[in-house]
Amino acid sequence: MSGHDSKYFSTTKKGEIPELKEELNSQYKDKRKDAVKKVIAAMTVGKDVSSLFTDVVNCMQTENLELKKLVYLYLINYAKSQPDLAILAVNTFVKDSQDPNPLIRALAVRTMGCIRVDKITEYLCDPLQRCLKDDDPYVRKTAAICVAKLYDINAELVEDRGFLESLKDLISDNNPMVVANAVAALAEIQENSARPIFEITSHTLSKLLTALNECTEWGQVFILDALSRYKAPDAREAENIVERVTPRLQHANCAVVLSAVKMILQQMELITSTDVVRNLCKKMAPPLVTLLSAEPEIQYVALRNINLIVQRRPTILAHEIKVFFCKYNDPIYVKMEKLEIMIKLASDRNIDQVLLEFKEYATEVDVDFVRKAVRAIGRCAIKLERAAERCISVLLELIKIKVNYVVQEAIIVIKDIFRRYPNTYESIIATLCESLDTLDEPEAKASMIWIIGEYAERIDNADELLESFLESFPEEPAQVQLQLLTATVKLFLKKPTEGPQQMIQVVLNNATVETDNPDLRDRAYIYWRLLSTDPEAAKDVVLAEKPVISDDSNQIDPSLLDELLANIATLSSVYHKPPEAFVTRVKTTAQRTEDDDYPEGSETGYSESPSHAAEGSASSPTSSSNAPYSTARQPAPAPPAPAPAAPVPDLLGDLIGLDNNAIVPVDQPASPTGPPLPVLVPASTGQGLQISAQLTRQDGQIFYSLLFENNTQIALDGFLIQFNKNTFGLAAAGPLTVPQLQPGTSATTLLPMVMFQNLSQGPPSSLLQVAVKNSQQPVWYFNDKISLHVFFTEDGRMERGSFLETWRSLPDSNEVSKEFPGIVVNNAEAAIDRLGASNIFFIAKRKHANQDVFYFSAKLPRGIPFLIELTTAVGTLGVKCAIKTPGAEMAPLFFEAIETLLAG
Amino acid sequence: MISQLFVLSQRGDNIVFRDYRGEVQKGSAEIFFRKVKFWKEDGQEEAPPVFNVDGVNYFHVKVVGLLFVATTRVNIAPSLVLELLQRIARVIKDYLGILNEDSLRKNFVLVYELLDEVIDFGYVQTTSTEMLKSYVFNEPIVVDAARLQSLGPAAIFMQGPKRMPGTAVTKSVVATEPGGRRREEIFVDIIEKISITFSSSGYILTSEIDGTIQMKSYLTGNPEIRLAFNDDLSIGRGGGSGYDYRSSSGSGAVILDDCNFHQSVRLDSFDMDKTLSLIPPDGEFTVMNYRLTQEFKPPFRINPLIEEAGALKAEVIIKVRADFSSSITANTIMVMMPLPKYTTRASFELEPGALGQTTDFKEANKRLEWGLKKIVGGSEHTLRAKLTFSPESHGNITKESGPVSMTFTIPMYNASKLQVKYLQIAKKSGTYNPYRWVRYVTQANSYVARI
Repeated sequence: MSGHDSKYFSTTKKGEIPELKEELNSQYKDKRKDAVKKVIAAMTVGKDVSSLFTDVVNCMQTENLELKKLVYLYLINYAKSQPDLAILAVNTFVKDSQDPNPLIRALAVRTMGCIRVDKITEYLCDPLQRCLKDDDPYVRKTAAICVAKLYDINAELVEDRGFLESLKDLISDNNPMVVANAVAALAEIQENSARPIFEITSHTLSKLLTALNECTEWGQVFILDALSRYKAPDAREAENIVERVTPRLQHANCAVVLSAVKMILQQMELITSTDVVRNLCKKMAPPLVTLLSAEPEIQYVALRNINLIVQRRPTILAHEIKVFFCKYNDPIYVKMEKLEIMIKLASDRNIDQVLLEFKEYATEVDVDFVRKAVRAIGRCAIKLERAAERCISVLLELIKIKVNYVVQEAIIVIKDIFRRYPNTYESIIATLCESLDTLDEPEAKASMIWIIGEYAERIDNADELLESFLESFPEEPAQVQLQLLTATVKLFLKKPTEGPQQMIQVVLNNATVETDNPDLRDRAYIYWRLLSTDPEAAKDVVLAEKPVISDDSNQIDPSLLDELLANIATLSSVYHKPPEAFVTRVKTTAQRTEDDDYPEGSETGYSESPSHAAEGSASSPTSSSNAPYSTARQPAPAPPAPAPAAPVPDLLGDLIGLDNNAIVPVDQPASPTGPPLPVLVPASTGQGLQISAQLTRQDGQIFYSLLFENNTQIALDGFLIQFNKNTFGLAAAGPLTVPQLQPGTSATTLLPMVMFQNLSQGPPSSLLQVAVKNSQQPVWYFNDKISLHVFFTEDGRMERGSFLETWRSLPDSNEVSKEFPGIVVNNAEAAIDRLGASNIFFIAKRKHANQDVFYFSAKLPRGIPFLIELTTAVGTLGVKCAIKTPGAEMAPLFFEAIETLLAG
Repeated sequence: MISQLFVLSQRGDNIVFRDYRGEVQKGSAEIFFRKVKFWKEDGQEEAPPVFNVDGVNYFHVKVVGLLFVATTRVNIAPSLVLELLQRIARVIKDYLGILNEDSLRKNFVLVYELLDEVIDFGYVQTTSTEMLKSYVFNEPIVVDAARLQSLGPAAIFMQGPKRMPGTAVTKSVVATEPGGRRREEIFVDIIEKISITFSSSGYILTSEIDGTIQMKSYLTGNPEIRLAFNDDLSIGRGGGSGYDYRSSSGSGAVILDDCNFHQSVRLDSFDMDKTLSLIPPDGEFTVMNYRLTQEFKPPFRINPLIEEAGALKAEVIIKVRADFSSSITANTIMVMMPLPKYTTRASFELEPGALGQTTDFKEANKRLEWGLKKIVGGSEHTLRAKLTFSPESHGNITKESGPVSMTFTIPMYNASKLQVKYLQIAKKSGTYNPYRWVRYVTQANSYVARI
C-alpha cells in the first residue's frame, strides 16, 4: 500500500456514497481495496455508510487477507442494522471456516462470534464445532474464546451443542495458548452461570500448573486467576502449589507477579508450619517492592494491594519502610498511598526516621499532600504511645513556621491526640492559642474551640477566647456553632461566674431563636432544659469522661479485609470494596443491539450519550463516582461533643435531604414479575395507594420486587424509595422504575439491591424499614421482613469432605438447633429441590433409628458458611433443625427462613 | 475482560476506539475525559489510574501525551489492564516506528488490525510483536521522524551532541529500509534511574537505583544471544532479615536487591558465569529489570544554602559538583528550588565565564530554575540568587524553601557498576557480523537535597 491512509478521510465534492459505490464495484483489485479502506475511514468518523452493505459484502470473496479483514470489520459494525442483508455473508463465512489457510478459518469464526444477529449465530454452530477440533492451534484458541461469545448471546445453544465439554477438553490441549483461552472462556461462563460448570479438581490443577510454565504471560494471569478459586484440601498440597507458583514472582510482567502473590497468600492460610510461612513472606517482599519501580500507574495498584497485605501480614514489609518514602516526582496519588503505608508500618523502632520524612513533606508545595503529612504525624502519635511526645514536638515545630494551612491541620490532629491521651499534653495549649485568630477553616476552628471548652478550667482566659468567636456566631458554619455551643456550656459548668453566664445566654438565644438548623436548635434546647432543671445532671452529661479513641490506621473491618484479601490483584483490592459493591454487569442482550459499534471517530458528537448513560447505569450503584478512596478511609474521629441530639429515626430527613445515595428518580418503564406479593401498605392506610413488596433472588442477584396499585382519584408519579439501615446493609442499587400511575392502574417493578451499603449496628434483625414517596402523597413508611434465604449464594455447595471438616473445625458453641413441631415433610425429594432452589444445597442423607437425617450447606455473602442438619421422619409431624456456622448470631433468622421454606 | 479500548489525544479527541463486548455505552470516552480533566476528589487534583464512574471502571496510562484507556464492568486485575495498555503502546510503536497522534491517524487500518489480534472479546491474546507479525498484514506508513518526539527510553540517546549513529530507534520493525535490505543490528540499552535524598547536612538518607536492560533487535532469523555481566554480580542481600546488611562500599561487588526477567530469558548458567541467553523477539522489550539499594557513589553532590540578608532579603547559593570521571559529560541538567511564597524578585549571578546556563524565577509557582546544557565530570558550578521578599509578614525562610531537586542525563555512565562484558550473537556464517550497540545511560528519577 502506498500513500497515506489519511487521504481516505478527505471528502470529495461529488456525492461521496455513489462514488464509493462505483469504486467498490471496480474491476481492479487495488481500487476495490482502496475503496473499502475509504468506507472504513468514513465509518470510524461516524458517517453512515450502511447503504453500501451489498457492495462491500461483494468484496468479501477474496484471497487477500488484508481486504478480507476490512470487510469483516465493516460487517461487525453494520450487520445488526441490516440483518436481512447480513445473511448474504453467511455463505462466505461458512466457506471461509473451511479454508485451507488457518488464519482465514480463525478469522471467520472470530468474526461470526462478534455479529450478534440470530441468523448468523445459527450458522455459527457447525463451523465452531469443527474449529474447536482444528489441527491448527491458532484456530482452536480463537474457537475457545468464541464459545464464550456464543454463551453470551445464547447460553442454551452452547449447552445443547455440547460446546462446554469441548471447551473442557481443550484444558488438556498440548498448546498452552489454547489452554489459557479455554480457561478464560470457562471462567467467564462460570461467572455468569449458577450451575457449577468449571470446577477445579486436583487433576485439572496439576494440568494447569504444568501449562503455566509454557504459557504467554497473559495466559499465566488467566490460569493463576482461575486457580485462585481452588481450595487445597490440606497444608501439604497448599505447600506444593505454592512451590510451583513461586517462580512467577520473578516475572517482568507485574500482572503475573500480583496474581502469583494472590495465589500464594491464599494457600498460606492453610499452611501451618511457621517456618514455611516466614520463608514465603521473605520471598514475597522483594518482588512486591520491585513493583514500586514500575510505571506510576502500576505503583498505585501495587500500593493499594500492599496496604491490604500489610494489614494481614505486617511482617512481610516491616523492614522495608524506606521504600515507601515519597519521591519528589511521584504523582500525588502515589504519594498519598505511600503515606498511608508509612503510617501502617511505623513502629517504635523506625518512628524517628518516619517523623523526619513527614516533617519534610509538611513543608512541600502541594497543599493536599502537606495536610495529609501533618495528619499522618498525628496518627502516628495516636498509634504509638511511646512516640507521642516526639510527634507532638514535631507538630509544634510546624506550627511555629506559621504556614496557615499547616497550623490548622496540626490543630485538628492535636485535638485527636488530646482525646487519645487526656490530661497529658495540656502544656502546649498556650502555643495553640497564639494561632487562634488565623484559623479560618471550620474543622480547625471547631477543634480549637473543643480544646478550649474541654480544658476551660486550665486556661485562664478561656472566657475571653470563646467570647471572641461569639460575635460572629450567626455566620459560622454549623460545625463551629455546635462546638461553640458545647464549649460555652462546658465553660459555664466549670466556671459558673458572671461572664460565662452572660455568654451562655447569648449562645442559647442564638442557637434556639436565631437559627434554622434543627441539630443546633435541638442540642441547645436540651442543654437549656438540663441547665434550668438540674445543673448537676448537666455536669454529669456534658462533662462526662469521654472514651479514649484509638488508632484508626488499621481501619478495615476484619471480615471485609478477609474478602478483600481473597480478591488481591483485582479491582476490588484497589477500591477496597467487595466486588458486589461495584460490579454491575447485567446480562441484557436486547439492550446491546444499538450499542456495539465498531470504531468511533473523533468527529462524532455524543449527542446521544445522556440517554445511553442512563441506560447503561440502570442497575449501577447510584453514587455518581465510586472513586477508590471513599469507603476505605474513614475520617479521623469526630469531634467528641456529647451529641445530645437524640437520634430520631431519620428516614424522612434523609428522604427530603440531599442524601442522593439511595434516592433515585423515576422515569423508566416497569418490568413485569410473577407471583402475588405480600401487601405491606394496604390501600386503606396508603390513602388509596397499595404497596406490595418482597425481596427475591434471581440469577444470583437480590431484587426488591414491588407492586404499586393506584386506587386514588389522581395520577401518581415521582416515586422514590429509601431503605433504613439494616442488618444486611441492603440498599437500592439503581433507580426505582415506576411510570406515572393513572388512577385505577398498577405497576410492578424489580429494584436491584446491593448489600453492605448502610449497615446497622446491634444484633441481627430481619427488620427492613422502607420509605416510599411520590410527588402527590405523604411519605409511606412500612416494615418488611428480610428472609435470610434470599442471601444464600449460588456457590454455597460444599463437598462432602469439606463439610465434615468444617463441621469438626467449628466449636460446639457455634451449634444451634430448633424444633419445628408443626412442620411435616411429606416428600423428601420435593423438599430437597425446594431448598436447592433457594441455594440450600443437599449434601447427604442417612438413616438414624426411624428417622432420616439430611445434611445441607449454604453460604452467605462474604463467605459465611451454614452447615445444616435436618432430622425428621418423612410423613410425620415434627422437624428438628441443627445448624453450625461461624455466624451463629444469624441462627434465629436462619430458622425463620427454613421454616418458611419447609412449610411452603 | 476488557470492554473497550481507546486512545485519546491530550485535548480529548478520540483517535482510536474499539469496542470488544458492547456492554459499556459509547459515550464512555467523553465521560472518562471529563472526569479526568476535572478530577477533584479526596483533596487530590490528579485522577488515579483506576476509577469507577456509574459502574464502569476506567483504566488509563499516559504515553507520550496520549491517553490509553480501557473500560470494563467486571472485577478484573487492574495490573493486567495497565500493563497491557503500556504494551499496546509499545507494540504500536514497534510497528509505526513513531507513536503520536499523527502516526496513529495515518495508520488507523493497521492499528485496528493490531488491536483485533491483541485482544479478542476482551481477552489478551498476545502483545509480542514477533508473534503478531504472522497475523498482521497492513504495512505501516512511516511519518517523518525528524520533527517528532519519539517514545521510550531509547529516545534519550537522541539528545545532546553525542548522537548515536543511525535512526534505528525510530524505525519500524516491519518496514523495509529504502535500499530494500534491512540493516542487521541490535541495541542493548542499560538505563538506570537514580533516586536519592540528601539530608540538609549532606548525608545520604535514601538511595536507590532502578535499572532496566532494554533490547531492540533488528536481526533476521532471530539468532540466539548471550549477554555476560560482571563476575561479581549477585542477587539478594544475603540471608537474615537483611535490612541493615550493606556490603562495604568499595569492595566492588554488585549486589542487586531483586530483579526480574523477560520470559524469553534463560538463566541456566547465570549462577555460574553470570550470563543470560535468549532468543530476542522482534521489537523493543525489557530483558531485565533490577533494583539496587547498595551504597553507590552519587554522580552529583548538591550543596544548597540560604541565608537571610536583611529584613526582606535573602541569598541562595547552590553548588553542584560532578563526582564522575572527566571523560564523561552529563547533559540537560536542570536544578529546581521552590522559594518562599512571599518572594517577589530574584536576581541571579552565574560564575564568570559560564556558558550554556540559564536561570529563571517562575513567578507563578515561586520556583527557581537553573539549567545547564552540560557538566563535565569533576567540575563544580555555583549559582547565586538574591531574593527580595514582599513586606508582609513571613516565617522561617529556610523551612519554606526547598528541597532542591535535580534532573539530568549522563550517557555512557552507570552508577551501579553493572556491566555487560560481552554480547554474543550465534553466528550464521563467517561473514555475519551485525552491528551491536551496548549503551549505558543514567538519569535522575527523584534527586533531591533538603535544606
